This record gives sequence, structure tokens and C-alpha cells, in this order.
Amino acid sequence: MKGDLAGADTHRLPSPLDPRPENGGALAPPVQPTARLLRVAGVLLSCFTALLGLLYFMLAGALLGAFLLWPRTRGRAHALLVAGARRLAALERSRRSVFFHDRFPEHHASDQQVLRYLAARTYTGLLCSIVVGLLVFGVILAGLLAAGVARSTMTWQELLTQVVLGSVLLFLDVQGLFSLAALDTRLARECFGPSERELLERRINELAASRAAVVHAVDTERRRVERDLHDGVQQRLVALAMLLGRARRSKTPEQADALLEQAHKESQEVLTELREVAWRVYPSALDNLGLQEALGGVSERCSIPIRIEYDVPEPLPPSLETAAYFVVSEAVTNAAKHSSAEDIFVSVKACDTFLAILVRDSGVGGADPAGSGLTGLHSRVAALDGSLNVHSPIGGPTTITAELPCA
Amino acid sequence: MRVILAEDSTLLREGLIRLLTEEGHEVLAGVGDAVSLLREVETQTPDIVVTDIRMPPTHTDEGLRAAVEIRKRWPGVGVLVLSQHVERNYAAQLLTSNAERVGYLLKDRVAQVDEFLDSLERIHAGGAAIDPEVVRQLVIRTTHTDPLSRLTPRERSVIEALAQGHTNAAIAQKLHISLSSVEKNLNMIFDRLELSHTTGYSRRVLAVLRYLES
Repeated sequence: MKGDLAGADTHRLPSPLDPRPENGGALAPPVQPTARLLRVAGVLLSCFTALLGLLYFMLAGALLGAFLLWPRTRGRAHALLVAGARRLAALERSRRSVFFHDRFPEHHASDQQVLRYLAARTYTGLLCSIVVGLLVFGVILAGLLAAGVARSTMTWQELLTQVVLGSVLLFLDVQGLFSLAALDTRLARECFGPSERELLERRINELAASRAAVVHAVDTERRRVERDLHDGVQQRLVALAMLLGRARRSKTPEQADALLEQAHKESQEVLTELREVAWRVYPSALDNLGLQEALGGVSERCSIPIRIEYDVPEPLPPSLETAAYFVVSEAVTNAAKHSSAEDIFVSVKACDTFLAILVRDSGVGGADPAGSGLTGLHSRVAALDGSLNVHSPIGGPTTITAELPCA
Repeated sequence: MRVILAEDSTLLREGLIRLLTEEGHEVLAGVGDAVSLLREVETQTPDIVVTDIRMPPTHTDEGLRAAVEIRKRWPGVGVLVLSQHVERNYAAQLLTSNAERVGYLLKDRVAQVDEFLDSLERIHAGGAAIDPEVVRQLVIRTTHTDPLSRLTPRERSVIEALAQGHTNAAIAQKLHISLSSVEKNLNMIFDRLELSHTTGYSRRVLAVLRYLES
């Protein structure tokens, strides 16, 4: 696993726990006050960029219109039109990224898409300007009303009528603003990707990949068990039987005794080996005594001293316990095999929605996330929709962190 | 006889070396992988090579490939292959070329020391040693298709012993019947399986095995 990855390499699995753009689904992060101000600024800015768009279409229409109609020059004129539109679209895209923290994937929209987007965006932006304008107008009217009340030139009925009417209009206006902001978000997503459909497709691909990876991981595991049985237990048993066979054929009682004694010792070792193999297949302590005890077993079996911090107040669901156990035990096994570390630190903590696991060793680093051990870990974690980070710069230390959602 | 051992498990290798030494054989070398095995065979030319199939680096069929090569390059050297479990293809690869001085045993058979030593002797004498389990599986596989199903239980046990590489005398001893009765049974079998009569028993083994594999 000594990776040829130079320097610090951080390998990240995508996770549903990642903050996504608010269009990304139900797991959007809560909006902070500063973020809200930014959004308001973004909406106001969108009014100005819409004016730019309008100007562009008017200019381009005036200058290129004739060329667009004439077949000979149509291609070039269209290319010019699109090139400008792409610039403006890129501007919109940065506006979305800066003010709304949208994260768009690398995605190349077609000419058609860009033009359609810019046209729609300009239209909604202009609408937005009108709605904002109405809001400003409403605020001025409210100011006049307040002044009127202050000068007491109004009857109670007039005031009431004005207040009710103003409130309804204010509600409609704010509603319009929200809708237009949502529309702006949706338009941007359709042009810059990913659309709902793409998100679904991506999720399906993710699931298919993780399913395949799980099957692969299970097969790898089985192969390891078979290898353990054949190359460990079976060899020992054959050797044991051979000792007994030799004892039976031995010429003198002394020789027979010595061989029997050896055989007896060997049989003890076969038993130990068998226990070890069974434990590696599935630590029964997990079911009987829980994760903490099973992790204790990991540290007993490891040649390197391990310090374990365990902070999980509630009992965990069995599937989560098993996954957490194997993440720790794989990571520890990897560290013991490859890192030449002097000590290993393991922490298992329950956070609100997920279980956080950390395994750090003081070894030489340079772990390769594509190595077989870590790939198996990735598969296991991905199957539970968790995320796994491997940070292993050359020279160490190696830190493996995993977050498993508490479903 | 002069033996070279190839077995990656140190424990088993040492055990085998002791066993063979106690029995008065000379172990020229004990190695843990196929490359060293070929090197040793080249320099020392033993009477017989005992090799595990699964050896480093890939733990698949290194030992078998080495065995096939030894058969090709040094036909005079006997080869006994030890397998973790019955692999028909491996057995076929080894036996179809020439069933003289060759053996294919399950690793566990080593535990039955007498049988293991007997197999070695047989191979050394120019014969064959096929694991009873391998033969049993080959026989089972063919029962529903073939003239073998027409054999009587007695004839079936005779053909199994025959396929393992035993001589007529050994078969008689094994099944507690007379030599003439073995010969009679064999003639019946050859008639039923339409196999030509041959004398060299390794060729008979080959014929039977080939038939069973078809």
C-alpha cells in the first residue's frame, strides 16, 4: 500500500452528508444570517444582470439580426451571438456561486441551452426588477401613510383600508419575489446542471456502483477466509496428522513419545489458529457484548499498542456496529501491516446524525486509497451511505476518518 | 530415493523432510516457491519431486505449472503434486500427457503417512498415484451418462483401484479377492468400456482416466 501518490493525498467519497446546493435535495444546510443577506444581494444583482441581458439581446438583434436571416452568414453570426451569450451566462453562473453558494459540476451546456437560459433569465430578472420596484413603491406609500397618520389627516376607516390593502399587496409582492428567486435557481440548475433527472441518474449510478463494490468486497472477504482456512488451519492439521503418523511408525517408544508430545502441542496451536480465523470472519463479541468489547478484542490482537476513545452513549443498531467494527479493524490491520507505526489512536464518537470514526497511526504514511484494504473499506462505508477520508502524506501520520449515518 | 520438496508452509515442509528422512530417503532440498524448485531440479536431478500446487507469489497454480515443465524437461524425474482440493483440470493437465512417474494427491493424504509413502514408492517404480478422492469424483461424474453405470459394484471398485494406479496384485490385496478374479473383472471392464488390452498399467490408468474425463 505504499502509494506512489506524492505528498498529502486526501481521498474523498461523495456523501449525502455533504452540504449541497439547496436545490440538491432535502439535506440542505440551514441558512445563516450572513448567507441570507448574500442571497438578497444576489437577487438584487440579478435585476442588473437582467438589464445587461436585455441590452445584449437588443444590440445583438440590431447588429446581427440581418446576418442571422441570411443563410450564408447565419453560421458565423450565430456563433458570435452564442459567444456573447456564453459570457453573460458565465457571469450569471458566478453570481449563483458567489451569492447562493451553488456548486455546479463541470458541465458543458449546448448553444441552444445557453440561449434559452439567457432569454428566460433576462425575462425573470426584468420581472424581478418590476417586483422589487413595486416593493420600493410600497415602502414609499407606507412612509406617506405614516406621515399622514402623524399629521392626523386620516380617518380610522381610511387608515384601516390602507393597512389591509397594503398588507395584502406586500404579501403578494414578497410571494412573487420568493417565486422568482426559486425560478432563478431552477433555471440555473437546468442550464449548468445537474437537473433533477441527472441527480436521480447519478444517485442510481452511485447505488449501482456501491452495490457492485459490496458484492466484490464480500467475495474478497470470502477468498480471504478460504485462504485463512487452507493456508493456516489445514496446513497445521496436516502437519499434526503427519506427526501422529510418524509416531505410529516410530521404531522406539522414546521417539514415539517425543513425537506425541509435539503432536499435542501442535493440536493446541491448531485450536488457537482456528479461533483466530473465526474471529476474523466475524467477532462473536459484537453480538454478545457490543462494539466496545469487540474493539477491545482488536487492540488485544494487534501487535502495536492502541489507545481507544469510545464515546457512544446510546446502543447502536447492529448493522452500524458491524460496519464500524470492520472499519476500525481493517484500518488497524492496514496500519499494523504497512505503516511501521509505534502506536495507533482510535476514536469512535456518536454525533447527532452520524457515527464518527477516526483511526490515526504514527507511521510512515503514503497509504494508497486504491489499495485493496482501503477499497474494501470504501465499499463497506459507501454501502451505508457514509463517507470515508484517507489522509496519508508521505512521512505520516495516516489518518482515516469515517462518518456513518445513524439511519 | 532422492527427493526435492516444494511447499510454502514451513511447518509442513519441515514435517515432510523429517518424515522422509526417518524413512531413509534423502531430501536434497526443501524450497518454498516454484522458481527455486526448477532451479534445484536443474542442479541436482532428483528421483522424485513433491510439490504443492498453491505457492507464492499468486497462490494459484505455480506448483502445477512447474510440475508440467519438469515432466517436459526431465521425463526421468517422478512428480507428485499435492493439491488443496480436487481440481479436475489440474489432474487432467498432469496426467493426459503421460501417466508414468506421476502422482496427484490431495494434500490431506500426506496425513495418512503409509499411503503417502506408498504413493511415492509407486511413482518411483514408474507407476502412477491418483488420489482415491479424485477418482471417486471422476467416477461419480460419469455414472449418469455412460457404460460405467452398467458395471457391477465389484467391477466399479476394481476400476477405481485401477485408476488410482494400483497393480493387479495390489488390487487383489486391497479388495481381498484373488488375482485371477481381478484379472477376470478387468477383462470384463475392458470389454464393456471397449478399451484395448494393454499391459503397462500406467497406460491402463491413462486410458481409464481419459475415458472418465470424456
